[in-house]
Amino acid sequence: MNNHHGQSQQSSESKHDDDAALTDFLASLMEYTPTVPDELVEHYLGKSGFQCPDVRLTRLVAVATQKFVADIASDALQHCKARQASVVKDKRDKQQKDKRLILTMDDLSKALREYGVNVKHQEYFADSPSAGLDTASRDE
Amino acid sequence: MSDGGRENRREHEKSSGHRKSGVDNFARAIAKIAVAQVCETEGFQAFQQSALETFSDVAVRYIRDVGKTALLYTNLAGRTEVNVFDVIQGLEDLSMGLGFVGASDIDHCLVQSGVVRELLQYVGDSEELPFAYALPQLPIFRDRKQTPSFLQAGVEPPHEHIPSWLPPFPDIQDHVQLPMQENGAKDPQLVEVEHAKDDIKPEQQSSLSVQPLHSAGGLAGPPLVAERNAANLKEAAVTNPYLAAPLYFGEKEVSPAVLPTKLSSEAAVGDHVGQKQVMDGKISALEAFVPGIESIKSGLNDSDEGQMKVFPSQRPPVQFKIRIGKRSFNANPNSSFEHEDFVRLLLVVPFLCYSDTNVHEEFDDALGLLITSNVMLLGWIG
Repeated sequence: MNNHHGQSQQSSESKHDDDAALTDFLASLMEYTPTVPDELVEHYLGKSGFQCPDVRLTRLVAVATQKFVADIASDALQHCKARQASVVKDKRDKQQKDKRLILTMDDLSKALREYGVNVKHQEYFADSPSAGLDTASRDE
Repeated sequence: MSDGGRENRREHEKSSGHRKSGVDNFARAIAKIAVAQVCETEGFQAFQQSALETFSDVAVRYIRDVGKTALLYTNLAGRTEVNVFDVIQGLEDLSMGLGFVGASDIDHCLVQSGVVRELLQYVGDSEELPFAYALPQLPIFRDRKQTPSFLQAGVEPPHEHIPSWLPPFPDIQDHVQLPMQENGAKDPQLVEVEHAKDDIKPEQQSSLSVQPLHSAGGLAGPPLVAERNAANLKEAAVTNPYLAAPLYFGEKEVSPAVLPTKLSSEAAVGDHVGQKQVMDGKISALEAFVPGIESIKSGLNDSDEGQMKVFPSQRPPVQFKIRIGKRSFNANPNSSFEHEDFVRLLLVVPFLCYSDTNVHEEFDDALGLLITSNVMLLGWIG
Protein backbone atom coordinates (compact mmCIF):
# COMPACT_ATOMS: atom_id res chain seq x y z
CA MET A 1 0.00 0.00 0.00
CA ASN A 2 1.40 3.36 -0.91
CA ASN A 3 0.20 5.09 2.17
CA HIS A 4 1.81 8.42 1.65
CA HIS A 5 0.62 8.77 -1.89
CA GLY A 6 -2.86 7.70 -0.92
CA GLN A 7 -3.03 10.23 1.87
CA SER A 8 -2.02 13.16 -0.26
CA GLN A 9 -4.40 12.09 -2.95
CA GLN A 10 -7.12 11.78 -0.38
CA SER A 11 -6.43 15.21 1.05
CA SER A 12 -6.45 16.79 -2.36
CA GLU A 13 -9.64 14.94 -3.12
CA SER A 14 -11.19 16.07 0.13
CA LYS A 15 -10.11 19.60 -0.66
CA HIS A 16 -11.86 19.31 -3.94
CA ASP A 17 -14.85 17.91 -2.15
CA ASP A 18 -14.86 20.79 0.32
CA ASP A 19 -14.49 23.23 -2.51
CA ALA A 20 -17.40 21.69 -4.26
CA ALA A 21 -19.36 21.52 -1.00
CA LEU A 22 -18.84 25.22 -0.39
CA THR A 23 -19.86 26.09 -3.91
CA ASP A 24 -22.88 23.85 -3.63
CA PHE A 25 -23.77 25.36 -0.30
CA LEU A 26 -23.56 28.86 -1.66
CA ALA A 27 -25.58 27.84 -4.67
CA SER A 28 -28.18 26.18 -2.46
CA LEU A 29 -28.53 29.44 -0.57
CA MET A 30 -30.09 30.90 -3.70
CA GLU A 31 -33.02 28.57 -3.21
CA TYR A 32 -33.16 28.87 0.55
CA THR A 33 -35.03 31.85 1.87
CA PRO A 34 -33.82 32.78 5.35
CA THR A 35 -36.23 34.31 7.82
CA VAL A 36 -33.97 37.31 8.22
CA PRO A 37 -34.78 39.25 5.07
CA ASP A 38 -32.08 40.05 2.55
CA GLU A 39 -33.02 43.70 2.51
CA LEU A 40 -32.40 44.07 6.23
CA VAL A 41 -29.04 42.34 6.03
CA GLU A 42 -28.04 44.38 3.01
CA HIS A 43 -29.03 47.58 4.75
CA TYR A 44 -26.95 46.90 7.83
CA LEU A 45 -24.04 45.44 5.92
CA GLY A 46 -24.00 48.54 3.78
CA LYS A 47 -23.94 50.62 6.93
CA SER A 48 -20.82 48.84 8.09
CA GLY A 49 -19.09 49.48 4.79
CA PHE A 50 -19.58 46.04 3.30
CA GLN A 51 -20.24 46.20 -0.41
CA CYS A 52 -20.77 43.18 -2.58
CA PRO A 53 -23.18 42.67 -5.41
CA ASP A 54 -23.31 38.92 -4.79
CA VAL A 55 -26.64 37.93 -3.27
CA ARG A 56 -25.17 34.66 -2.06
CA LEU A 57 -22.94 36.46 0.41
CA THR A 58 -25.85 38.43 1.76
CA ARG A 59 -27.73 35.18 2.12
CA LEU A 60 -24.75 33.66 3.88
CA VAL A 61 -24.74 36.46 6.43
CA ALA A 62 -28.51 36.20 6.74
CA VAL A 63 -28.32 32.49 7.43
CA ALA A 64 -25.52 33.01 9.92
CA THR A 65 -27.58 35.65 11.70
CA GLN A 66 -30.59 33.41 11.72
CA LYS A 67 -28.56 30.58 13.16
CA PHE A 68 -27.14 32.90 15.79
CA VAL A 69 -30.61 34.07 16.79
CA ALA A 70 -32.01 30.56 16.72
CA ASP A 71 -29.20 29.21 18.91
CA ILE A 72 -29.73 31.91 21.48
CA ALA A 73 -33.48 31.44 21.34
CA SER A 74 -33.20 27.71 21.91
CA ASP A 75 -30.86 28.31 24.84
CA ALA A 76 -33.27 30.84 26.28
CA LEU A 77 -36.07 28.33 25.80
CA GLN A 78 -34.15 25.74 27.77
CA HIS A 79 -33.61 28.29 30.54
CA CYS A 80 -37.29 29.11 30.49
CA LYS A 81 -38.33 25.46 30.69
CA ALA A 82 -35.83 24.77 33.46
CA ARG A 83 -37.13 27.73 35.44
CA GLN A 84 -40.69 26.59 35.12
CA ALA A 85 -39.78 23.02 36.07
CA SER A 86 -37.97 24.17 39.18
CA VAL A 87 -41.10 25.76 40.65
CA VAL A 88 -42.50 23.72 43.51
CA LYS A 89 -45.36 21.54 42.51
CA ASP A 90 -48.16 23.08 44.60
CA LYS A 91 -47.20 26.50 43.36
CA ARG A 92 -47.23 25.19 39.85
CA ASP A 93 -50.97 24.60 39.98
CA LYS A 94 -51.50 28.24 40.82
CA GLN A 95 -49.37 29.37 37.98
CA GLN A 96 -51.00 27.02 35.53
CA LYS A 97 -52.25 29.85 33.42
CA ASP A 98 -48.72 31.24 33.16
CA LYS A 99 -47.45 27.99 31.73
CA ARG A 100 -46.93 29.62 28.38
CA LEU A 101 -43.36 29.83 27.20
CA ILE A 102 -42.47 33.49 27.33
CA LEU A 103 -39.24 35.01 26.16
CA THR A 104 -38.18 37.04 29.18
CA MET A 105 -35.22 39.23 29.82
CA ASP A 106 -33.96 36.89 32.52
CA ASP A 107 -33.70 33.91 30.21
CA LEU A 108 -32.45 35.98 27.34
CA SER A 109 -29.67 37.59 29.32
CA LYS A 110 -28.61 34.19 30.65
CA ALA A 111 -28.51 32.78 27.13
CA LEU A 112 -26.75 35.81 25.70
CA ARG A 113 -24.05 35.66 28.33
CA GLU A 114 -22.78 32.44 26.82
CA TYR A 115 -22.45 34.18 23.48
CA GLY A 116 -20.38 36.96 24.88
CA VAL A 117 -23.14 39.53 25.10
CA ASN A 118 -23.59 41.09 28.49
CA VAL A 119 -27.14 42.20 28.98
CA LYS A 120 -28.13 43.58 32.31
CA HIS A 121 -31.80 43.26 32.99
CA GLN A 122 -33.36 46.49 34.11
CA GLU A 123 -35.04 45.62 37.34
CA TYR A 124 -38.02 47.91 37.24
CA PHE A 125 -38.41 48.35 33.53
CA ALA A 126 -42.05 48.46 32.52
CA ASP A 127 -42.59 46.72 29.21
CA SER A 128 -45.87 48.37 28.50
CA PRO A 129 -47.81 51.23 30.06
CA SER A 130 -50.10 48.70 31.73
CA ALA A 131 -47.31 46.41 32.94
CA GLY A 132 -47.25 47.70 36.49
CA LEU A 133 -51.00 47.73 36.94
CA ASP A 134 -53.05 44.75 37.99
CA THR A 135 -56.10 43.60 36.08
CA ALA A 136 -58.58 45.45 38.27
CA SER A 137 -57.04 48.83 37.65
CA ARG A 138 -56.56 48.01 34.00
CA ASP A 139 -60.27 47.51 33.55
CA GLU A 140 -61.07 50.94 34.81
CA MET B 1 -47.72 55.93 34.80
CA SER B 2 -45.60 55.75 31.75
CA ASP B 3 -42.99 53.32 30.55
CA GLY B 4 -39.84 55.34 30.84
CA GLY B 5 -40.96 58.17 28.62
CA ARG B 6 -41.68 56.12 25.59
CA GLU B 7 -44.63 58.26 24.70
CA ASN B 8 -42.50 61.35 24.84
CA ARG B 9 -39.99 59.71 22.61
CA ARG B 10 -42.64 58.90 20.08
CA GLU B 11 -43.80 62.45 20.09
CA HIS B 12 -40.26 63.61 19.62
CA GLU B 13 -39.76 61.29 16.68
CA LYS B 14 -42.92 62.50 15.11
CA SER B 15 -41.98 66.10 15.52
CA SER B 16 -38.44 65.70 14.25
CA GLY B 17 -39.49 63.71 11.20
CA HIS B 18 -35.95 62.92 10.19
CA ARG B 19 -35.84 60.65 7.20
CA LYS B 20 -32.72 58.77 8.17
CA SER B 21 -33.94 57.85 11.63
CA GLY B 22 -37.19 56.82 10.03
CA VAL B 23 -35.33 54.32 7.87
CA ASP B 24 -33.56 52.95 10.89
CA ASN B 25 -36.79 52.63 12.79
CA PHE B 26 -38.22 50.72 9.91
CA ALA B 27 -35.20 48.43 9.74
CA ARG B 28 -35.39 47.85 13.47
CA ALA B 29 -39.05 46.97 13.24
CA ILE B 30 -38.25 44.45 10.54
CA ALA B 31 -35.46 43.00 12.64
CA LYS B 32 -37.92 42.63 15.51
CA ILE B 33 -40.38 40.76 13.35
CA ALA B 34 -37.67 38.47 11.99
CA VAL B 35 -36.33 37.71 15.46
CA ALA B 36 -39.83 37.08 16.74
CA GLN B 37 -40.43 34.68 13.89
CA VAL B 38 -37.26 32.75 14.65
CA CYS B 39 -38.20 32.61 18.33
CA GLU B 40 -41.60 31.30 17.43
CA THR B 41 -40.02 28.54 15.37
CA GLU B 42 -37.90 27.60 18.33
CA GLY B 43 -40.99 27.12 20.46
CA PHE B 44 -41.65 30.38 22.26
CA GLN B 45 -45.25 31.38 22.59
CA ALA B 46 -44.93 34.93 23.81
CA PHE B 47 -42.32 37.52 24.56
CA GLN B 48 -41.64 40.48 26.73
CA GLN B 49 -41.37 43.65 24.73
CA SER B 50 -38.05 44.60 26.30
CA ALA B 51 -36.60 41.15 25.69
CA LEU B 52 -37.57 41.26 22.04
CA GLU B 53 -36.13 44.72 21.62
CA THR B 54 -32.87 43.67 23.22
CA PHE B 55 -32.73 40.53 21.16
CA SER B 56 -33.34 42.33 17.88
CA ASP B 57 -30.70 44.87 18.82
CA VAL B 58 -28.24 42.07 19.41
CA ALA B 59 -29.14 40.50 16.07
CA VAL B 60 -28.64 43.80 14.25
CA ARG B 61 -25.35 44.23 16.02
CA TYR B 62 -24.34 40.77 14.89
CA ILE B 63 -25.02 41.62 11.26
CA ARG B 64 -23.04 44.80 11.53
CA ASP B 65 -20.17 43.08 13.28
CA VAL B 66 -20.01 40.40 10.61
CA GLY B 67 -19.91 43.14 8.00
CA LYS B 68 -17.22 45.05 9.83
CA THR B 69 -15.00 42.04 10.39
CA ALA B 70 -15.39 40.86 6.81
CA LEU B 71 -14.51 44.31 5.61
CA LEU B 72 -11.47 44.31 7.85
CA TYR B 73 -10.16 41.17 6.20
CA THR B 74 -11.02 42.51 2.78
CA ASN B 75 -9.04 45.64 3.36
CA LEU B 76 -6.23 43.61 4.87
CA ALA B 77 -5.99 41.70 1.61
CA GLY B 78 -5.94 44.96 -0.32
CA ARG B 79 -9.36 44.61 -1.86
CA THR B 80 -12.46 46.71 -1.65
CA GLU B 81 -15.02 44.11 -2.62
CA VAL B 82 -15.82 41.45 -0.08
CA ASN B 83 -15.60 37.80 -1.07
CA VAL B 84 -16.83 34.65 0.60
CA PHE B 85 -13.60 33.95 2.46
CA ASP B 86 -13.69 37.30 4.16
CA VAL B 87 -17.19 36.58 5.32
CA ILE B 88 -16.26 33.14 6.57
CA GLN B 89 -13.25 34.57 8.36
CA GLY B 90 -15.48 37.18 9.94
CA LEU B 91 -17.99 34.55 11.03
CA GLU B 92 -15.19 32.49 12.51
CA ASP B 93 -13.95 35.49 14.43
CA LEU B 94 -17.37 36.14 15.87
CA SER B 95 -17.91 32.53 16.90
CA MET B 96 -14.51 32.29 18.57
CA GLY B 97 -16.15 32.79 21.94
CA LEU B 98 -18.21 29.64 21.65
CA GLY B 99 -15.77 27.64 19.62
CA PHE B 100 -16.32 25.53 16.55
CA VAL B 101 -14.90 22.45 14.91
CA GLY B 102 -11.33 23.03 13.83
CA ALA B 103 -10.93 26.34 15.60
CA SER B 104 -7.72 25.19 17.26
CA ASP B 105 -6.05 24.64 13.91
CA ILE B 106 -4.85 28.09 13.01
CA ASP B 107 -3.76 27.08 9.50
CA HIS B 108 -6.99 25.47 8.50
CA CYS B 109 -8.39 26.20 5.09
CA LEU B 110 -11.40 28.42 5.13
CA VAL B 111 -13.16 26.19 2.63
CA GLN B 112 -13.53 23.45 5.23
CA SER B 113 -14.33 25.77 8.08
CA GLY B 114 -16.31 24.39 10.96
CA VAL B 115 -18.54 27.44 10.91
CA VAL B 116 -19.59 26.76 7.34
CA ARG B 117 -20.23 23.13 8.18
CA GLU B 118 -22.44 24.16 11.08
CA LEU B 119 -24.30 26.56 8.85
CA LEU B 120 -24.75 23.81 6.27
CA GLN B 121 -26.14 21.57 8.96
CA TYR B 122 -28.46 24.28 10.21
CA VAL B 123 -29.80 24.98 6.74
CA GLY B 124 -30.38 21.29 6.24
CA ASP B 125 -32.15 20.82 9.56
CA SER B 126 -34.28 23.90 9.95
CA GLU B 127 -37.38 24.32 7.96
CA GLU B 128 -37.54 27.17 5.58
CA LEU B 129 -39.63 30.00 6.92
CA PRO B 130 -39.66 33.10 4.77
CA PHE B 131 -40.13 36.53 6.25
CA ALA B 132 -43.73 37.40 6.95
CA TYR B 133 -43.94 40.45 4.72
CA ALA B 134 -42.76 41.42 1.31
CA LEU B 135 -40.18 44.13 1.66
CA PRO B 136 -39.08 46.93 -0.62
CA GLN B 137 -35.40 47.62 -1.06
CA LEU B 138 -33.95 49.67 1.77
CA PRO B 139 -33.52 52.57 2.11
CA ILE B 140 -36.93 53.48 0.85
CA PHE B 141 -37.34 56.66 -1.10
CA ARG B 142 -40.88 57.77 -1.48
CA ASP B 143 -41.43 58.79 -5.07
CA ARG B 144 -41.95 62.47 -4.91
CA LYS B 145 -44.53 64.03 -7.10
CA GLN B 146 -42.60 66.27 -9.41
CA THR B 147 -43.94 69.50 -10.66
CA PRO B 148 -44.98 69.05 -14.29
CA SER B 149 -43.03 71.08 -16.81
CA PHE B 150 -44.56 73.67 -19.11
CA LEU B 151 -44.81 70.98 -21.76
CA GLN B 152 -46.56 68.47 -19.50
CA ALA B 153 -48.88 71.08 -18.09
CA GLY B 154 -49.71 72.21 -21.59
CA VAL B 155 -48.95 75.82 -20.79
CA GLU B 156 -46.96 78.15 -22.96
CA PRO B 157 -43.91 79.64 -21.22
CA PRO B 158 -44.47 83.32 -20.47
CA HIS B 159 -41.32 84.36 -22.32
CA GLU B 160 -39.56 83.09 -25.40
CA HIS B 161 -36.23 82.40 -23.76
CA ILE B 162 -37.68 79.92 -21.25
CA PRO B 163 -37.53 76.37 -22.60
CA SER B 164 -40.70 74.37 -22.32
CA TRP B 165 -39.11 71.49 -20.39
CA LEU B 166 -38.65 73.63 -17.32
CA PRO B 167 -41.25 73.52 -14.58
CA PRO B 168 -43.53 76.52 -14.42
CA PHE B 169 -42.95 79.33 -11.99
CA PRO B 170 -44.67 79.18 -8.66
CA ASP B 171 -47.82 81.19 -8.29
CA ILE B 172 -47.39 84.89 -7.93
CA GLN B 173 -49.44 84.63 -4.77
CA ASP B 174 -46.58 82.70 -3.18
CA HIS B 175 -44.11 85.42 -3.97
CA VAL B 176 -46.36 88.06 -2.62
CA GLN B 177 -47.11 86.47 0.67
CA LEU B 178 -43.59 85.38 1.41
CA PRO B 179 -42.21 88.58 2.97
CA MET B 180 -45.28 89.00 5.11
CA GLN B 181 -44.87 85.48 6.45
CA GLU B 182 -41.26 86.23 7.19
CA ASN B 183 -42.36 89.25 9.17
CA GLY B 184 -44.83 87.15 11.06
CA ALA B 185 -42.39 84.39 11.80
CA LYS B 186 -39.69 86.72 12.92
CA ASP B 187 -37.89 85.90 16.06
CA PRO B 188 -39.35 87.84 18.98
CA GLN B 189 -35.83 88.66 20.14
CA LEU B 190 -35.05 90.15 16.77
CA VAL B 191 -38.13 92.27 16.99
CA GLU B 192 -37.03 93.42 20.39
CA VAL B 193 -33.65 94.32 19.02
CA GLU B 194 -35.32 96.35 16.34
CA HIS B 195 -37.35 98.18 18.91
CA ALA B 196 -34.19 98.91 20.81
CA LYS B 197 -32.68 100.28 17.63
CA ASP B 198 -35.70 102.49 17.27
CA ASP B 199 -34.98 103.98 20.61
CA ILE B 200 -31.35 104.59 19.84
CA LYS B 201 -31.53 105.81 16.30
CA PRO B 202 -34.55 107.86 15.55
CA GLU B 203 -33.12 108.75 12.15
CA GLN B 204 -33.61 105.16 11.03
CA GLN B 205 -37.27 105.29 11.78
CA SER B 206 -38.01 106.10 8.20
CA SER B 207 -36.41 102.97 6.82
CA LEU B 208 -38.18 100.87 9.41
CA SER B 209 -41.50 102.29 8.51
CA VAL B 210 -41.00 100.89 5.02
CA GLN B 211 -41.82 97.42 6.28
CA PRO B 212 -45.46 97.78 7.25
CA LEU B 213 -46.04 99.84 4.15
CA HIS B 214 -44.50 97.13 2.06
CA SER B 215 -46.50 94.33 3.59
CA ALA B 216 -49.65 96.33 3.24
CA GLY B 217 -48.82 96.81 -0.42
CA GLY B 218 -48.26 93.07 -0.72
CA LEU B 219 -51.75 92.46 0.52
CA ALA B 220 -53.25 94.92 -1.88
CA GLY B 221 -51.50 93.76 -5.01
CA PRO B 222 -48.20 92.54 -6.42
CA PRO B 223 -45.57 95.25 -6.09
CA LEU B 224 -42.86 95.66 -8.69
CA VAL B 225 -39.90 93.38 -8.35
CA ALA B 226 -37.38 96.17 -8.12
CA GLU B 227 -39.41 97.86 -5.43
CA ARG B 228 -39.58 94.65 -3.47
CA ASN B 229 -35.87 94.07 -3.82
CA ALA B 230 -35.17 97.50 -2.50
CA ALA B 231 -37.51 96.89 0.38
CA ASN B 232 -35.82 93.58 1.09
CA LEU B 233 -32.43 95.23 1.05
CA LYS B 234 -33.57 97.88 3.43
CA GLU B 235 -35.08 95.29 5.68
CA ALA B 236 -31.84 93.33 5.61
CA ALA B 237 -29.96 96.49 6.45
CA VAL B 238 -32.18 97.04 9.42
CA THR B 239 -31.99 93.52 10.74
CA ASN B 240 -28.38 92.85 9.84
CA PRO B 241 -25.97 95.33 11.41
CA TYR B 242 -23.21 94.36 8.98
CA LEU B 243 -25.23 95.42 5.99
CA ALA B 244 -26.22 98.75 7.47
CA ALA B 245 -24.81 101.94 6.02
CA PRO B 246 -21.74 103.22 7.87
CA LEU B 247 -22.21 105.96 10.40
CA TYR B 248 -20.27 109.17 9.95
CA PHE B 249 -18.77 111.28 12.68
CA GLY B 250 -21.38 113.13 14.59
CA GLU B 251 -24.24 111.19 13.08
CA LYS B 252 -24.73 109.07 16.09
CA GLU B 253 -24.98 110.83 19.39
CA VAL B 254 -22.69 109.40 21.96
CA SER B 255 -22.88 110.65 25.49
CA PRO B 256 -19.57 112.20 26.54
CA ALA B 257 -17.60 110.41 29.17
CA VAL B 258 -18.19 112.17 32.50
CA LEU B 259 -15.94 111.71 35.42
CA PRO B 260 -17.48 111.15 38.81
CA THR B 261 -17.91 114.42 40.68
CA LYS B 262 -15.43 113.58 43.37
CA LEU B 263 -12.68 112.74 40.93
CA SER B 264 -13.26 115.73 38.75
CA SER B 265 -13.27 118.17 41.62
CA GLU B 266 -10.07 116.78 42.97
CA ALA B 267 -8.51 116.82 39.54
CA ALA B 268 -9.31 120.49 39.43
CA VAL B 269 -7.59 120.98 42.73
CA GLY B 270 -4.64 118.99 41.51
CA ASP B 271 -4.20 117.13 44.74
CA HIS B 272 -2.99 113.83 43.38
CA VAL B 273 -2.24 112.44 46.75
CA GLY B 274 -5.75 113.06 47.90
CA GLN B 275 -7.07 111.50 44.74
CA LYS B 276 -5.06 108.45 45.31
CA GLN B 277 -6.26 108.27 48.85
CA VAL B 278 -9.79 108.22 47.66
CA MET B 279 -9.13 105.72 44.94
CA ASP B 280 -7.03 103.29 46.81
CA GLY B 281 -7.31 102.33 50.44
CA LYS B 282 -3.86 100.85 50.30
CA ILE B 283 -2.31 104.22 50.60
CA SER B 284 -3.04 104.56 54.28
CA ALA B 285 0.56 103.71 55.12
CA LEU B 286 1.77 106.37 52.76
CA GLU B 287 -0.60 108.84 54.23
CA ALA B 288 1.36 108.71 57.40
CA PHE B 289 4.56 109.73 55.63
CA VAL B 290 3.29 112.63 53.64
CA PRO B 291 3.55 115.33 56.28
CA GLY B 292 6.97 114.12 57.28
CA ILE B 293 8.16 114.12 53.74
CA GLU B 294 6.87 117.58 53.21
CA SER B 295 8.52 118.85 56.31
CA ILE B 296 11.77 117.23 55.31
CA LYS B 297 11.69 118.82 51.93
CA SER B 298 10.88 122.24 53.23
CA GLY B 299 13.66 121.95 55.77
CA LEU B 300 16.32 120.75 53.39
CA ASN B 301 15.59 123.02 50.46
CA ASP B 302 16.81 120.49 48.00
CA SER B 303 17.00 120.88 44.31
CA ASP B 304 14.37 118.23 44.20
CA GLU B 305 11.78 120.82 44.97
CA GLY B 306 12.08 122.22 41.51
CA GLN B 307 11.83 118.79 40.05
CA MET B 308 8.69 118.19 42.00
CA LYS B 309 6.81 120.89 40.26
CA VAL B 310 7.44 119.31 36.92
CA PHE B 311 4.77 116.75 36.25
CA PRO B 312 6.44 113.95 34.39
CA SER B 313 4.32 112.39 31.71
CA GLN B 314 5.94 109.00 32.11
CA ARG B 315 6.10 106.93 35.22
CA PRO B 316 7.64 109.15 37.82
CA PRO B 317 10.88 108.04 39.38
CA VAL B 318 11.07 106.98 42.96
CA GLN B 319 14.02 108.50 44.67
CA PHE B 320 15.49 107.74 47.96
CA LYS B 321 18.18 109.55 49.73
CA ILE B 322 19.98 108.17 52.68
CA ARG B 323 21.98 110.56 54.70
CA ILE B 324 23.14 110.99 58.17
CA GLY B 325 21.42 114.03 59.45
CA LYS B 326 21.05 116.11 62.54
CA ARG B 327 19.51 114.68 65.59
CA SER B 328 16.61 116.99 66.26
CA PHE B 329 15.69 117.66 62.73
CA ASN B 330 12.34 116.04 62.45
CA ALA B 331 9.51 117.29 64.53
CA ASN B 332 6.84 115.28 62.84
CA PRO B 333 4.97 113.02 65.23
CA ASN B 334 3.58 110.88 62.43
CA SER B 335 6.88 109.75 61.07
CA SER B 336 7.82 106.23 61.94
CA PHE B 337 11.48 107.17 61.85
CA GLU B 338 11.42 109.86 64.47
CA HIS B 339 13.02 107.77 67.17
CA GLU B 340 16.03 106.94 65.06
CA ASP B 341 18.79 109.17 66.14
CA PHE B 342 21.70 108.41 63.91
CA VAL B 343 20.25 107.82 60.60
CA ARG B 344 18.04 110.21 58.85
CA LEU B 345 16.43 108.73 55.83
CA LEU B 346 15.38 111.22 53.36
CA LEU B 347 12.56 110.16 51.31
CA VAL B 348 11.83 112.25 48.36
CA VAL B 349 9.05 111.04 46.25
CA PRO B 350 7.43 113.12 43.61
CA PHE B 351 3.78 113.30 44.49
CA LEU B 352 2.71 112.20 41.10
CA CYS B 353 4.03 108.77 41.70
CA TYR B 354 1.05 108.09 43.90
CA SER B 355 -1.26 108.20 40.98
CA ASP B 356 0.15 105.01 39.57
CA THR B 357 -0.70 101.74 41.26
CA ASN B 358 2.44 100.06 40.01
CA VAL B 359 4.54 102.77 41.42
CA HIS B 360 2.59 102.50 44.57
CA GLU B 361 3.47 98.86 44.82
CA GLU B 362 7.04 99.66 44.05
CA PHE B 363 6.85 102.16 46.77
CA ASP B 364 5.74 99.49 49.17
CA ASP B 365 8.66 97.34 48.16
CA ALA B 366 10.98 100.25 48.48
CA LEU B 367 9.61 100.94 51.90
CA GLY B 368 10.56 97.44 52.97
CA LEU B 369 14.01 97.95 51.48
CA LEU B 370 14.25 101.23 53.24
CA ILE B 371 13.55 99.70 56.60
CA THR B 372 16.02 96.87 56.10
CA SER B 373 18.73 99.25 54.92
CA ASN B 374 17.93 101.36 57.89
CA VAL B 375 18.60 98.48 60.18
CA MET B 376 21.80 97.67 58.33
CA LEU B 377 22.98 101.22 58.60
CA LEU B 378 22.21 101.23 62.26
CA GLY B 379 24.33 98.16 62.68
CA TRP B 380 27.11 99.72 60.65
CA ILE B 381 27.14 102.93 62.54
CA GLY B 382 26.68 101.44 65.96
